[in-house]
Amino acid sequence: MQLLINIVVLASIYALIACGYVLIYRVSRVLNLAHGELMMFGAYLVLACSSLFAGHPVMALCAAVILSLVTGALVYIFLMRKMTGEMVLAAILTTVALGILVRGVVVLVWSSQQQYPAQALGISNPTFTLPGDGHISLWSLVLVLTNLAAYGALFGFLRFGRWGMRMRAAGQNPLLAAQRGINLHGVYALAWSLSTLTGALAGILMALDSGVTGSMPVIALKAFPAALVGGLDSLGGALIGALIVAGAEVLLIYYVDPLLSDVVPFLVLVAMLFVRPWGLFGTREELDRV
Amino acid sequence: MNAPLLQVEQIEVVYKRVITAVQGVTLAVPQGQIVALLGTNGAGKSTTLRAISGFLGLDDAVVTEGSITFDGAALQNRPPHEIAGRGVVLVPEREKVFPNLTVAENLAAPVARGTKARDRRPHEEHIYHFFPRLAELRDRTGGLLSGGERQMLAIASALMCRPKLLLIDELSLGLAPVVVGDLVRRLCAIRDELGIAILLVEQSAAVALEIADYAYVMENGRIVLDGDRQRLKGHKDVQEFYLGKGSAEDGARRSYRDIKQYRRSRRWYG
Repeated sequence: MQLLINIVVLASIYALIACGYVLIYRVSRVLNLAHGELMMFGAYLVLACSSLFAGHPVMALCAAVILSLVTGALVYIFLMRKMTGEMVLAAILTTVALGILVRGVVVLVWSSQQQYPAQALGISNPTFTLPGDGHISLWSLVLVLTNLAAYGALFGFLRFGRWGMRMRAAGQNPLLAAQRGINLHGVYALAWSLSTLTGALAGILMALDSGVTGSMPVIALKAFPAALVGGLDSLGGALIGALIVAGAEVLLIYYVDPLLSDVVPFLVLVAMLFVRPWGLFGTREELDRV
Repeated sequence: MNAPLLQVEQIEVVYKRVITAVQGVTLAVPQGQIVALLGTNGAGKSTTLRAISGFLGLDDAVVTEGSITFDGAALQNRPPHEIAGRGVVLVPEREKVFPNLTVAENLAAPVARGTKARDRRPHEEHIYHFFPRLAELRDRTGGLLSGGERQMLAIASALMCRPKLLLIDELSLGLAPVVVGDLVRRLCAIRDELGIAILLVEQSAAVALEIADYAYVMENGRIVLDGDRQRLKGHKDVQEFYLGKGSAEDGARRSYRDIKQYRRSRRWYG
């Protein structure tokens, strides 16, 4: 039972991070390699807001979430906007640079020591016992639920929302989308802020559960195989990919060796690349564009 | 107020900073008229249309000289979505629909100029009435449509933007004559009912001269001939090179050897 819970929690973490990769890739064919850093930035935003709104944990959390949404939009407006309609590779390299920058800023401002936003906010992290003798901490539970809500909302938005439709259209053919009056900058900015929002949610909830250090982006790096296994342009695929990667990781840690933890996602990825390089639910012809 | 809706004045388009695709092209589209742009492959027709409808950074193309004026506003080198927002909408030659969106979604995605959310629905129904076939295919994925249906969807989704001027690149390409005839009739209906001007790029002069009020002929990136339908239909060179008829004098079959290219009268602007 505990094993199952661990898998679900880890899969939720990966899935919540992976949908950020998928969103941006799907609309602009850009791999956001700064996603992990933006996620960590979200976690540190909680820290900053906790001192700003001392004694109001809910307000601090809301402020951090809104700020991360704004951060995503700002990243697009000030950095990625210039890359719109240019070569995709240039845009990807820009995200690498952004990642390094964010990591530097975080260390500069908050130091590289482990910090506990939950303590700073003054909220506890009780553990629940589930039937079948499994344990789950409050914030892990919240993370699982948030993940489900986020995916539900994203599916609904992309399927039925007019701007969601426009995001899909821009992802398929940006030129035609622009010729149909769709403002590509608006669509891309939306994708960046939604992606940063989901990433930051994952970062914030993980930080509340177990603290935050400068090495948090590694987790996002491990979520990247989840997105790839599912197929980079498929949201549902990201969810399933996260389950597969998390399942393999938890089981191997339990039955073989805990040291394998950092390697497993990439082993799964390599195996996947041999069998189906375009991922479980990805579109095949996307490959030549990477 | 006799200024045409669209006035393209002496434009020059350069790709990748070195390749000049069109040079000194001047043309005008008056309100509510159908104007055709004829010419062979690589004559610069599509480039002219793309220049009017706007380039993305990825195209690496720029209008280096001349001006494009629509409804009193300068359009040259503006981004495509802004130009569409002003009422100039392109039906491109290839990749004209979103392949993974359904027909209904293809019509829902375009941004309708100056239309409130609740006015969208009637407008959509209005468009369906021009293309009843699309209404039957509402839930079909765009990529699975036949060539004719795809062209209908492309025109319909362009109309969703509420254009004042519709640019159509290669209406008849790859379509059966029956389908083309049908599309041509619908285009005329659209022009008459909605008062939309149409700039049509065509390789098939026969199709274009059937509906166009006025036509231009392009060669090697320049306009070499223009005139109203009667003048072009009667023009010897157009008959010979674009309509495939023998020279008017004898009407007999001739050898390719006898075709005298140099006799063609050319008029270059600029």
